[in-house]
Amino acid sequence: MLNSMLENLGTKILVLLDQAGDFAVVSGRAFRAIFKRPFDGAALMHQFQSVGVNSIPVILLTSLAVSMVFAVQLAYGFKQFQAEGLASQVNGLAIVRELAPVISGLMMAGRVGSAMAAELGTMQVTEQIDALECLATDPIHYLFVPRLLASAIMVPMLVGLSIYVGYWGGYLLLVGVEGQSSVVYASDFFKLLSFRDLRIALYKAFVFGVIIALVGCWRGYRTHGGAEGVGNAPTSSVVTSSLWILISDFFLTKLLLV
Amino acid sequence: MEPVIDVVNLSKAFGPKVVLSNVNLQVQEGESLCVMGGSGTGKTVLLRNIMGLLTPDAGHVAVDGKIIQQLNRDELFEVRQKIGMCFQMAALFDSMTVEENVGFALKRHTPMTKAEIADRVDECLSMVGLKDTNKLKPSELSGGMKRRVGFARAIALKPKILLFDEPTTGLDPVMTDVIGRIILDLKAELGMTSITVTHDLKSAFEIADRIALIFRGECIACQTPGEFKVNPHPVVQQFLRGDADGPFLQDPPPPKRALDRALFHPIHID
Repeated sequence: MLNSMLENLGTKILVLLDQAGDFAVVSGRAFRAIFKRPFDGAALMHQFQSVGVNSIPVILLTSLAVSMVFAVQLAYGFKQFQAEGLASQVNGLAIVRELAPVISGLMMAGRVGSAMAAELGTMQVTEQIDALECLATDPIHYLFVPRLLASAIMVPMLVGLSIYVGYWGGYLLLVGVEGQSSVVYASDFFKLLSFRDLRIALYKAFVFGVIIALVGCWRGYRTHGGAEGVGNAPTSSVVTSSLWILISDFFLTKLLLV
Repeated sequence: MEPVIDVVNLSKAFGPKVVLSNVNLQVQEGESLCVMGGSGTGKTVLLRNIMGLLTPDAGHVAVDGKIIQQLNRDELFEVRQKIGMCFQMAALFDSMTVEENVGFALKRHTPMTKAEIADRVDECLSMVGLKDTNKLKPSELSGGMKRRVGFARAIALKPKILLFDEPTTGLDPVMTDVIGRIILDLKAELGMTSITVTHDLKSAFEIADRIALIFRGECIACQTPGEFKVNPHPVVQQFLRGDADGPFLQDPPPPKRALDRALFHPIHID
């Protein structure tokens, strides 16, 4: 009984370590492959399109919704002790520092990371990745690099967009519904923020972008077991990258804010 | 003369299942070797080891005197440019057109211009009898056409060696013959060294200079088609007859029901 329990635990830990090591090796190879020739501009442009441009509607809607809900909560909360003026300041703080990067990161993990896992997973089980190898093409160079670059560049840009939309979401609620002054809102939104906060938000977004692309591609690349495997790859990629986004968010905040 | 492909004491197991044990095969330049054997006897695993897609547990594969398993990735890719591999299910890139599939390696590994690549793609496609399919997507092709596009893609870089993984499995007899002819043409026109994995006796006897039979992970015969036919080994003879009874199967086959069928479902032939 005890023996088998320990055995199971040991197997699980070994599998976990094995996966972590494999992820590290594949990621290292992906980073090294960025500088390798030939440079595939067309594939990169295609990924910019599918990672960046096609995600704009999702980011627009989620940022608008989150910023408006947050403004409602803040307006209600601060009203209880007659401090409505603080709502716009705290809204700005929350959106720039946390909400925009994290919500965008999680949405992108669901939208883009899962697509990468499904695409590479299908390629793996239909032997297309082996075919790439046989055509003397490193799949990590050919498949990972454009996705990694596109994600690392586009996620910060989308977070920028998300902050901008968040500003107007708060405006809509606090100025439009609560009747605050638009001039005061405009200056108060940035009152508690410095330029450093925006920079930190973009750093975070960059790290999230790298996590999303690497986890998505890696899960897809290591898919096995036919249709079921292809089904599992996106799920586990979303779960894994969401977890790592939240974990890294904590540590990045702690490190960069000090 | 040093063989182009030298498989030495190759063994490979997946977990407890031994797929190949101690296989030795030599293929000379310009020679066409057919590898035969029942399903799941490790023929594909053999090709994958030659390509370096799998790492053997023991032994090694040398291509042109270079031991595949000792190369780093850049050297391995260099060797792979000399080998064309045709997959069982063709493994075409389904997001690309036929043209892009065939021209893929040319675009990446040669300094050729777009026009030169287009010419070479047309040449390769006409070699496999698929002119004017350039703009189609793999999903619009039949099984036999996919295989042939796979051939065209494999020969685009003018490799010295071609590996065919069950090129005729799942095709009708006529298409099987077409594929057999294409392989013979490629051999005659380009002088390629080839290894063909197949179940199909008829095409094997047409294509092969030598036939190897893999049985339970071991290579039990490797000889010319003439010698193979008269090989007295019971497994070889059973394989040639295509009979379920004999030493070939691990588990005994289900008994023949000829008598029952004759009694309960008599067939009347007028």
